Amino acid sequence: MNLKRPREGIRQSRLGRIAPLARLALRIGGRYLARSPQLVFASVERRTELRHDLALRSAEEVAEELGYMKGVLMKLGQMASYVDEDMPETFRSAMARLQHNAPPMSPALAASVIVDELGDAPEHVFARWDAWPFAAASIGQVHRAITRDGRAVAVKVQYPGIAQSITSDLRNVALLRRIVTAAFPGMDPQSLIDELGERLREEVDYLLEADNQEYFAQYYEGHPVVHVPRVVRELSTARVLTTELVSGERFEKVLQWDQHERDMAAETINRFVSRSLYRLHAFNGDPHPGNYLFHGQGRVSFLDFGLTKRFNDQDLVPLVKALRCLVIEKDGECFRSALERAGFLKPGAPVPTETIVDRFGLFYSTVLQDAPMTITPAFASAIVRRFFDAKGPLAPYSDVPRTYVILQRINLGLYAVLGSLNATANWRRIGAEMWPFVKGPASTPIGEAEARWEQERAGRDLTLALR
Amino acid sequence: MEPLARAFSRSVSEHPADGGLFGPQSVVWRMHRDRSFPLAALRSLMVQALHPLAMAGVAEHSNWKEDPFGRLAATSGYILTVTYGDTAAAHKAADRVRAIHSHVNGTDPATGLAYRAGDPSLLLWIHAAMIDSIVHVVQRYGRGLDSAAADRYVWEMVRFAELVGVPAKDVPASVAALEEYIESVELRQATPAARDAIAVILDPPWLEDETRELWRDLGRVAAGTLPAWARSMYGFGEPDPESMQREPVRQLIGALDLAFETLPGVMEARERIELRMRG
Repeated sequence: MNLKRPREGIRQSRLGRIAPLARLALRIGGRYLARSPQLVFASVERRTELRHDLALRSAEEVAEELGYMKGVLMKLGQMASYVDEDMPETFRSAMARLQHNAPPMSPALAASVIVDELGDAPEHVFARWDAWPFAAASIGQVHRAITRDGRAVAVKVQYPGIAQSITSDLRNVALLRRIVTAAFPGMDPQSLIDELGERLREEVDYLLEADNQEYFAQYYEGHPVVHVPRVVRELSTARVLTTELVSGERFEKVLQWDQHERDMAAETINRFVSRSLYRLHAFNGDPHPGNYLFHGQGRVSFLDFGLTKRFNDQDLVPLVKALRCLVIEKDGECFRSALERAGFLKPGAPVPTETIVDRFGLFYSTVLQDAPMTITPAFASAIVRRFFDAKGPLAPYSDVPRTYVILQRINLGLYAVLGSLNATANWRRIGAEMWPFVKGPASTPIGEAEARWEQERAGRDLTLALR
Repeated sequence: MEPLARAFSRSVSEHPADGGLFGPQSVVWRMHRDRSFPLAALRSLMVQALHPLAMAGVAEHSNWKEDPFGRLAATSGYILTVTYGDTAAAHKAADRVRAIHSHVNGTDPATGLAYRAGDPSLLLWIHAAMIDSIVHVVQRYGRGLDSAAADRYVWEMVRFAELVGVPAKDVPASVAALEEYIESVELRQATPAARDAIAVILDPPWLEDETRELWRDLGRVAAGTLPAWARSMYGFGEPDPESMQREPVRQLIGALDLAFETLPGVMEARERIELRMRG
């Protein structure tokens, strides 16, 4: 791969032109909460066309829609949404449809969940309550409300009975095995089922999601462009999750913004993913366009922490090593042995190291060169195709160990998102800011703002520690 | 399953002239959209095939072996049109079935008896086996059906039998009468044609590998729901009680139903039914 380096002058002038504007934006970046709750409440509109006329009116209707394996298979469909290259046709269309949402709950049914979980009717628990949801969630729906102490909030309400139903479905391993074997002929059914079970058990427990979201929210507190809504603990239970309400533009809208804005949004998403991984050792599962809200000038709110994975140092060591070997040291053997240690590649595969560097290297191609690079939709889909290439020379020897399944999803999803934005940046320098073995200098205005935030943060932490 | 999906979508018309023969508030509407219907259909076929003359008519005059899902889709399309179509569509469909029946005559090789598909006593058997299966399966694995609603369903469906030429006075109008009638039919046996047909239905050779195991599981459950007399005629053993429990069976049905629901037009047709039932 030989990417041509654009002339330095052009790059400089472009950066020079946008910098003051970006800095200004970054200074006001913290103002997500400055607007009145009433205004935020009013500005958050329905995100998807929900079929109110088909609203589910009883737990029995919910069960028919999402119980009896359906919810579980929908999750499998979501997990498989990047895997569909190899899927038999029968399942491909099924999986595509599975990603759609169930009809919403009727106001009475949703209210009954609030009564069960928070002890009183929503009109009493909240100062204002919108009886119809504004968004669908995989096993629930989201209502906007204003708390009695005046905060605009998003209240995620889980479908009644769905947690028990999913638990029971997951116990039917024999049936799951049949389905998974049929839908993913090339993959190890047990590890997929295990992953599915783990994810779903996490997802049905909103308290776990609350913990994860708070973990991210606290870390990113005051960050210039990354915003994670805070959790309202006293109004959250295992089945109801109340968080700060955010209004912003949807991904589809951002696609119509000018390229400069799109680049900044992409940079923030990319920074969020690397920073979370390398600094926080955590991953917010699904880089799905629906999980972002955009505020312009690179500011992005990250929603939905139902799928979060935390890594320990042990998990990260081989990944970091592979990255360092390939990108910094340019040492193929070192790269190969790191992949083998992580379990991505069977040790002793009869394949020359150059082939391995060539095939796996594609996944690192955005950071191989110290130069701006555009992630086009074509590049993003080439990555996905290569990843699921069952016929390539490495196919018999490569695998994704379970620890990293979700990481791979995130990476592929990230490329898809950046590809749709057709985003250009010097991804290498942005990455190097975060890599533990480089700790490179700030390379963009957002990076500078982030560095300042990090300093302030360290100061704050120190003050806290001294207290 | 595509032919079934097409039949379903076509039968539930978008702009019906009226509520049809039964109407959105009927038990028939509620029953015929139950997700356990495929299981009821399999059980129906297994019971229906145990009348040698009914079986002979199908075996000798139908292309079902070449196009089994097409044949199944035709039957299911008929039931759905008579249920959810408007009155004119229901009558038109019934006229067509009667016209087809008028050409189906012959002699059953197993018993040596002559048969006519239009014979009301054969049609009554087909009807009763189907209604009995639907009631049994929906009660056990469906959305729930109390005995009053079950009786009401059997009574409402008298009209259904009448449509193809069975005099209303001969059609059982309650669950008890239905059971009594089935027990009273003397000519019940598993002829070679019946065994042959059921073997194909339980393990269709034309099914894709991916769905075959799931279909076999469904077939095993359907066989397990058969009355003892029918099971012993086929030589099926006692069903494994664990695999017949409501929860795992509903999970199996749910998985298959999801595959069906994802086919073009199915969701939309279901929504049309739901919206009309909600009024």
